[in-house]
Amino acid sequence: MRAGDEAAFHALYRAEVGRVYALCLRLTGNRRDAEERTQDVFVQAWRRLSTFRGESAVSTWLHRLTVNLVLTERRSTRRREQRVMPVESLETVEKPGAAGREPSVPGVDLERAMARLPDGAREVFVLHDIEGYTHEEIGAVCGIAEGTSKAQLFRARRLLREMLER
Amino acid sequence: MTDFEPPVAGVKDLPRSIEPPRDLWPGVSRRIHWRLRLLVGAGGLAAAASLLFVLTPRAPLVPTTVIHGHPVISRSGVITNDASSARLELSIGSVEVGPGSDFRVVSITPGEQRFELRRGGISAQVLAPPRVFVVETPATVATDLGCAYVLQVDSLGNGLLRVTAGQVELVTGGRRAIVPAGAVASIRKGFGPGSPRREDASRKLTEALDAIDFGSREPAAVDSALSAARVDDALSLWHLLSRVNPVEAGRVYDRLAVLVPPPVGVTRDGVLSGSREMLDLWWNYLPWTGYRKP
Repeated sequence: MRAGDEAAFHALYRAEVGRVYALCLRLTGNRRDAEERTQDVFVQAWRRLSTFRGESAVSTWLHRLTVNLVLTERRSTRRREQRVMPVESLETVEKPGAAGREPSVPGVDLERAMARLPDGAREVFVLHDIEGYTHEEIGAVCGIAEGTSKAQLFRARRLLREMLER
Repeated sequence: MTDFEPPVAGVKDLPRSIEPPRDLWPGVSRRIHWRLRLLVGAGGLAAAASLLFVLTPRAPLVPTTVIHGHPVISRSGVITNDASSARLELSIGSVEVGPGSDFRVVSITPGEQRFELRRGGISAQVLAPPRVFVVETPATVATDLGCAYVLQVDSLGNGLLRVTAGQVELVTGGRRAIVPAGAVASIRKGFGPGSPRREDASRKLTEALDAIDFGSREPAAVDSALSAARVDDALSLWHLLSRVNPVEAGRVYDRLAVLVPPPVGVTRDGVLSGSREMLDLWWNYLPWTGYRKP
């Protein structure tokens, strides 16, 4: 696919949008943010298409682009708003499906519970347990120490398990 | 530390792909074009002049008139926004391009007029031999078999075909659907066309067909389709014959045979072994297929 070939790029979009959106949704924990980041990823991909050398699969390239873009956006948003949402105890974590409106579906409950994790814990959990990153790789992309990554993973798993068991 | 907190059950079963709840392509496309314009602005006079030459309006390949608003009409097709629409006057009929559409000319030859509906909706009225008017969409290819129809798709290819006269064939890979007048067919990215159904088909049948065509294909869905099908729904069961496993196909055959007895020359073994000749022969005897023999 050559840069500037919109039809081919649209075909790439159709093939990959589900995977990019799933990753954005899990990393952000928010549907609206995920939609915006998904669009950002494809706009960035369009701009950088000429730099894609074909050394890896397009899907791998898009995956890296997605992770970098979501985490960069998250860091700049944090700096901009200095907004922190600590979840130090389960009392502040809403139980998935607490309103009782929707049936309990294991995969859906897990997705909801992930969305309620603190940002840092969720990012490490998604990258390590779902995407298969090592702590070293997570440290590099998130700009944190390996030890911090391990601690966040421990925290994420514990919170998730408690939320799902409630 | 993670050694003391084992992985959470179910993580490995999470889907790798989740479809966005809405079509995100229009936003991407808009921003891509905005950046392109910015690039052009910074490109200098020579590049701008070259681009101007490229973009200079030339007569479209197909005569096109504005119905309302300000559609972008170029040599290669029509792009409408939410407040515009246009009509293409073909030698074999006409196509109305509805709001929010991107409709391109692929090729015009004596034997075939091929178009591409990238997103949006068209209403086509064609007076030509079968297989002359063809419309590609992101998820399927619609081939006119002499008819009038409305086709609506989003940029991913999810959409609906509604046929008002004649028949339309939808093909994606090995999946084929024949949609006669009075019937509709859903189209899904990754699957292609669903089994056509009458517009007045019951909700129960519609949901069962969706489950079989785009879902888990559970036997319960087949049960549901068989119990909900009326004589008028025979065309849906006819399609199911080639979409379910051999055991369920036998049950579908038996139900279809009760609703519309197979004509001479059509046998259970032949149909279940996939005989195209027998299926086509039976099709001609189904109600609403448009070719019913006297």
